[in-house]
Amino acid sequence: MRRKVLSLISVLLIFTLMLTGCGGSGSTSGASSDVIKIGWIGSLTGDQAVWGTCESNTIKMLIEQVNADGGILGKQVEGIYYDTKGDAAEAVNAVKRLISQDKVVAILGPNASGQALAISSVLDQYKVSDIATVATNPKVTVNEDGSVKKYNFRVCFIDPYQGAVAAGYAYDKLGLKNAAILYDVASDYSQGFTEFFEKTFTEKGGKIVAKEGFKEGDVDFRPQLSKIKEANPDVILMPYYYKEVALSANQARDLGIEATLIGGDGWPSDQLMTMAKDAIEGSYVVNHLDFNDPDVKPLQDAYKAKYDLPMELNGYMAHDAFLLLEAAIKDANSADPEKITESLTKVSVEGVTGTIKISPDTHNPDGKEAAIVRIESGDYIFQEKYGVK
Amino acid sequence: MSWIYISGILILSGINLLTVLGLSLLTGFTGLFSFGHAGFMAIGAYIAATATVKMGISFIPALLAGGCGAMIAGLLIGKLTLNLKGDYFCIATLGFGEAIRLILDNIKYFGGARGLPNIYPHTNLTVVIIIDIIAIVVLVFIIKSRHGRNMVAIREEEMASQVIGIDVFKYKLMSLAISALYAGIAGGLLAHYLGYIQPIMFKMVKSTELTIIVIFGGLGSVSGSVVGALLLTFLPEILRSFYEWRLVVYGAAVILIMITRPQGLMGGKEFSFKGIARIFRKFKNKSKNKKEGVKL
Amino acid sequence: MSYLLQQIINGLSIGSVYALMAVGYSLVYSILNFSNFAHGGVIMIGAYIGYFCLTMLKVPFYIAFILSALGAGLLAVSMEKVVYRPLRKRNAPFLYFIISAMGASIFLENIVIASPIGPTFRTYPPIFSTEPIMLGPVALGRIDLLMFIISAISLIALIYIIEKTKIGLSIRATSYSVKGSTLMGVNVDQVIFIIFIMGGILAGIAGMLFGMKYTVYPQIGNITTKSFIAAVFGGLGSLPGAVFGSILLGIIETMTSGYLSSQYRDLIAFALLIFVLVVKPTGLMGKSTEDKA
Repeated sequence: MRRKVLSLISVLLIFTLMLTGCGGSGSTSGASSDVIKIGWIGSLTGDQAVWGTCESNTIKMLIEQVNADGGILGKQVEGIYYDTKGDAAEAVNAVKRLISQDKVVAILGPNASGQALAISSVLDQYKVSDIATVATNPKVTVNEDGSVKKYNFRVCFIDPYQGAVAAGYAYDKLGLKNAAILYDVASDYSQGFTEFFEKTFTEKGGKIVAKEGFKEGDVDFRPQLSKIKEANPDVILMPYYYKEVALSANQARDLGIEATLIGGDGWPSDQLMTMAKDAIEGSYVVNHLDFNDPDVKPLQDAYKAKYDLPMELNGYMAHDAFLLLEAAIKDANSADPEKITESLTKVSVEGVTGTIKISPDTHNPDGKEAAIVRIESGDYIFQEKYGVK
Repeated sequence: MSWIYISGILILSGINLLTVLGLSLLTGFTGLFSFGHAGFMAIGAYIAATATVKMGISFIPALLAGGCGAMIAGLLIGKLTLNLKGDYFCIATLGFGEAIRLILDNIKYFGGARGLPNIYPHTNLTVVIIIDIIAIVVLVFIIKSRHGRNMVAIREEEMASQVIGIDVFKYKLMSLAISALYAGIAGGLLAHYLGYIQPIMFKMVKSTELTIIVIFGGLGSVSGSVVGALLLTFLPEILRSFYEWRLVVYGAAVILIMITRPQGLMGGKEFSFKGIARIFRKFKNKSKNKKEGVKL
Repeated sequence: MSYLLQQIINGLSIGSVYALMAVGYSLVYSILNFSNFAHGGVIMIGAYIGYFCLTMLKVPFYIAFILSALGAGLLAVSMEKVVYRPLRKRNAPFLYFIISAMGASIFLENIVIASPIGPTFRTYPPIFSTEPIMLGPVALGRIDLLMFIISAISLIALIYIIEKTKIGLSIRATSYSVKGSTLMGVNVDQVIFIIFIMGGILAGIAGMLFGMKYTVYPQIGNITTKSFIAAVFGGLGSLPGAVFGSILLGIIETMTSGYLSSQYRDLIAFALLIFVLVVKPTGLMGKSTEDKA
């Protein structure tokens, strides 16, 4: 028995020695104060790889531009990108590595709330800030008791807002009074969206006539949709990602459902258009920005020219997160993580998704309005900026 | 490499190890295959986290509560399904794991799919190492005891064991309950390391990855599981850029192990200094004795 | 009334997807007595073959169909050669088969993700009009109908082979006792080869139909856990059981969604499965499973 314990300890020791040994010889770029290091985390593999890749590509492109223009504070910028595989434990590992080993001044990403929530205790511990791109869960930046998390920021609006906007727009602007919801029970995004849509819609006087769930990985939604059809809604909320949107929208039309469809920022994608162009004709999407806005054109073109890929939503958000960080570093006039944190709430930047000014109380961008987009013959037609209190 | 980063990974591998030890008893020593151990981890994680966050219970009792909760679930599901033949039991555990996730997704009290945030990070390396050592000691005790031998007998020849009077059902149930207990405690540790839990963390993929670790380490070897858990948690960290191919290699390696060396890394043997001495002696003698065939 | 009818059609449509997948499982199980978890991977590859035949080679639909069936059959057979044969020759315990199958399924799924094909989902080019056939207020999808017909044809062909041909006779003999049939002069390796090629062809058909009906992505294999559950429902190793179990599971799932709660659908289906197994441990139509060990 004792032998076993000893052997375990020795194995542990060997491992630590091996690794510290490797690290000691490997870390050459230890004290390089002439470079500002910025970390990024997100999914480069897994279901959400499309978006993560777009984020990191965008940041790479921006860093190149900044460096070509002389860098920030006269220093060159270096980006370090780690894959989280969409997994919270991986995100924690990656952040620890970024902070302790790579010594980054701040972190951008991740693109999902689960990972953003998991890293906050690490950020607190080591006092480095993170700017999340599309983590829309309200608890990413505030604690249970409503106090703000000091090192968590974001540049996107939050689920309650998105849900409220969708509900408000459907009820007030489109005049649709009976809503049905189909949501993914296994997705935090979908549940959050649903909860706040329901709340706002019923408060306004609308009626939720059906609320059906499915489980990620499902491909057939006709049982739920048949039930929704019976309830005869005017509008169906589809708060999930484009693959399921495409399948469920097609199946809804097959069953003869003619209700208007409405969705959120999980929708926009080329795939959705190729697969369900006809089914989603006339649907409304609550988005972060208008894709056809002339102001975002240069960014789209630059991205397209560099990577020969279409710009995804996350790219715009990553762009704005980077601009915010750049402004904060300039404002702090230092690459000290604590000073940057202080400056993040002071600066205001003109991003592609609107003016970004972080509220010191919630660490969310203040007064950002959602862009309502209508899908017409395969294109996103901007309707209006719409906000709710 | 900085210590903060390494200790983080060590904690994770320690947590993985705890579940793997339990699975090792179940799969490696009793010969039962489970696809649902992430479910037991989830139960442990949620009970422990709820206990500390919502009820103000301190960390260690909360962990134990989580472990016991998982064990009770294990007993219940075992009582119902352990009479079934291998494949049927597999499916039952698979369904169980997914069912747990579905329940957690739907219960508002636990935060639903949006998860349970703000768990105080109690878990540190010392706690993990202490718990792991206790777990190893207890496991070795069980295996060395009469009960452990009975379990191995069931793995080898279920019918024969029945004939000589071993209560097969009882030992299978015991094995499942203990492995569920380990998984539950590991879940509690994970919750208090990440500070946030979400049902999606406990997918079936997690269960299969844990089983792969057991297979790598060697069916029927405790030290194999220890080495396997450490290696397979560290390896992907070292080879970060290699990630896309990691699972491809895992899959191929599992097949290769089964075809060529089903006993895995340690091959039913335990890591001991005597063993090392023996290997050295072998080298010295250079005798071309045929390697002892280790039968599983 | 039309609502109930619609839900029954939905259930049959989902059930027939499961059935096509479950039969391949059951076929292998009936001889080798283990669950071939890699079957899902073969289905997925079949779906991709069909997709690339249609989009890149631009062959007509029926040729793509044959190619994907053959491709999947080939894959299944080579997998048997590489993965299971060495184990069989060694008389390895059943646990090793399951583990290897699991390894193979992980391998297949992830090699697609890591390869240039990537993790994104892909859409089959439209082959038929997607306009459903309306029977009064009840909608019946064209692909559903096609799927139903093709499932039925392939199942009948399969049952014909097993019940009426000489090969079928050796398959049936082997499924009763491998040792016994070897003694009677049955070439067991050949029987297993045929079993895997038939299972693979069915997987290819299932994969292509699945892709046409929904979409193609590397995790298609996960759906097959459902068909596996269905096969257990019906009783592993029994082909009629697999079909019956699948249709039943499809109907149960739809009825649960339709009348009870879609949020807890899988939980209810699972509880029912456990109940069936507790009452009848070999599934609804399973062959009696005294361990062959």
